Amino acid sequence: MTRPRDVVLIALVAILIAGATDILPAWSAPFGAPHPAADLSASGLTGWIFAEQAAVYRSLSTFIRAAKENGGAIWGLFGISFLYGVFHAVGPGHGKAVISSYLVANKETWRRGIILSFASATIQSVVAIVVVVIAAVLFGATAKAIGLTVHLVEIISYGLIILIGLRLLYVKGRSFLIALRELRWTQAPNLVFASAPVANGTAHRLSPERAGAIATRRGQCMVDGCTVHGFHCHDDQHASAWAHAHGPEPADLAGAGGWRRGLSAVVAVGLRPCSGAIIVLIFALAQDLFWTGVGATLMMGLGTALTVAAMATVAVSARQIASRIANSRAGAGMLAMRTTEVGAAALIVAFGVLLLAGDMASEQLWMFTG
Amino acid sequence: MIKRKSCFCAILLLGLFMNRAEAHPHVWVTLHSEVLYAADGTMMGVRHAWTFDDMFSAYALQGISHAKKGQYTREELASLAQVNVESLKEYAYFTYVRADGKKLKFSDPVDYWLEYKNAALTLHFTLPLKAAASAKLMQIEIYDPTIFVDFEFARETPVSLSGAPQCSLTYDLPHQPTPAEQLRLSQLDSDPLDASSTYGQIFANKMLVTCP
Repeated sequence: MTRPRDVVLIALVAILIAGATDILPAWSAPFGAPHPAADLSASGLTGWIFAEQAAVYRSLSTFIRAAKENGGAIWGLFGISFLYGVFHAVGPGHGKAVISSYLVANKETWRRGIILSFASATIQSVVAIVVVVIAAVLFGATAKAIGLTVHLVEIISYGLIILIGLRLLYVKGRSFLIALRELRWTQAPNLVFASAPVANGTAHRLSPERAGAIATRRGQCMVDGCTVHGFHCHDDQHASAWAHAHGPEPADLAGAGGWRRGLSAVVAVGLRPCSGAIIVLIFALAQDLFWTGVGATLMMGLGTALTVAAMATVAVSARQIASRIANSRAGAGMLAMRTTEVGAAALIVAFGVLLLAGDMASEQLWMFTG
Repeated sequence: MIKRKSCFCAILLLGLFMNRAEAHPHVWVTLHSEVLYAADGTMMGVRHAWTFDDMFSAYALQGISHAKKGQYTREELASLAQVNVESLKEYAYFTYVRADGKKLKFSDPVDYWLEYKNAALTLHFTLPLKAAASAKLMQIEIYDPTIFVDFEFARETPVSLSGAPQCSLTYDLPHQPTPAEQLRLSQLDSDPLDASSTYGQIFANKMLVTCP
């Protein structure tokens, strides 16, 4: 029975590690720019996705040109734009990673995961459209000015991600410490009590720290023996710790305050427009097909939302299964959950800092025109 | 129960694997490069002609004032060309040279201009070496480590060599990894390449000048 549970716990840790591996190459970058070979190591499935999305992107220009000649071609364009969104979001990009980490850290529901994914993708499309309308259509700005605008928006977005991460880190860090303390203090007396016949009074001489340390190490077997010893109260204690540390239960999160809190993450992530969308919009504008470009951008957003929602669902499911296990194991399991949450929150901060520092490969729209 | 869990884990791993995919190209450049040699047999620099894809060309041209719709003169594009070469400095012009394995540096570009033809922009520029160098094997690679820009040699006249009749020029295109290379790539995590390895270079647009 423990085996599948362990697998899930390991899987959850793997999510965090995978998130971290997105960061690691960025750390090593200053010591030598990674060679394209590193990117091409994404052979097989990822290689295929990589090639597909490049091909799809390149075909967008053909579809936009076709739409100019023949109005019916617009549906082909919308279809290919949707497909591009799906493939594009599969690649790197902090959006998916930040949203998944946010959902894991914040104990969000599956339904909210999907809604947040769609909301952030929609905001992303709308920001691209707004930037192009204001900069290009109204002011006739150059690519340089647009690149600078996107860069500025990007910095704000990364700053917000750091703030959200720090706030989560503070809240989750505190509940981690609470879980840690509960584990030590509630179990220490049990251990002394349980081991008293064996230790024959020596337990009295144990310093509180030492007893706590032993209790932590023995936490697993203490919980197993919980009902036998009549310490069923454990479950209640942990349930209350849960509520204390995490505010409202999932059901309450649907309230207005809950939505507003989710909104901050969605805006932070969605604020940064996709370079591809900006380029497609400007290209459509140059062909006098601006509204076609707007439609294509919204379809891209829809495709992106689908992929991000899928990823978010995986993250939320893993989180829920893990928390069910944690509930059944109390003590150590609870601590593992708190650790996971702190890890996810720390990951958000790390993403934000790396993105802001420009160490993480991001799409640099101003590469030629900055 | 266990079956459902393993199914779930498979999806999860799939998601993780996808997450590690690298950046996406948004700019496609078809390039022609000319390696410049002086009469004394030393390499002086590289002359590039980079043609951008039509979508990025339209993006770069946004807001550039021009007299005739759909046409841009070299003068109208002068300021954009200036911006282009200035921005490229940060990315080392995506051009990497080694003289018998030793890295060489470029000075700022000279003779740069933009040309607009068939809905595509072509950036012409010359990269002079900081110091002229001679080598038995001169290796010039063009690539973007972040893959935001996808470089590819032009099908017709991809490369040329000027001023060194005694030397010969060959070039390699980035290619799909062969099964053997694919196997090696899949082992990179567990068995990394050592620093002196030149394995990765097979994936760049590469020019080789061999001199006697």
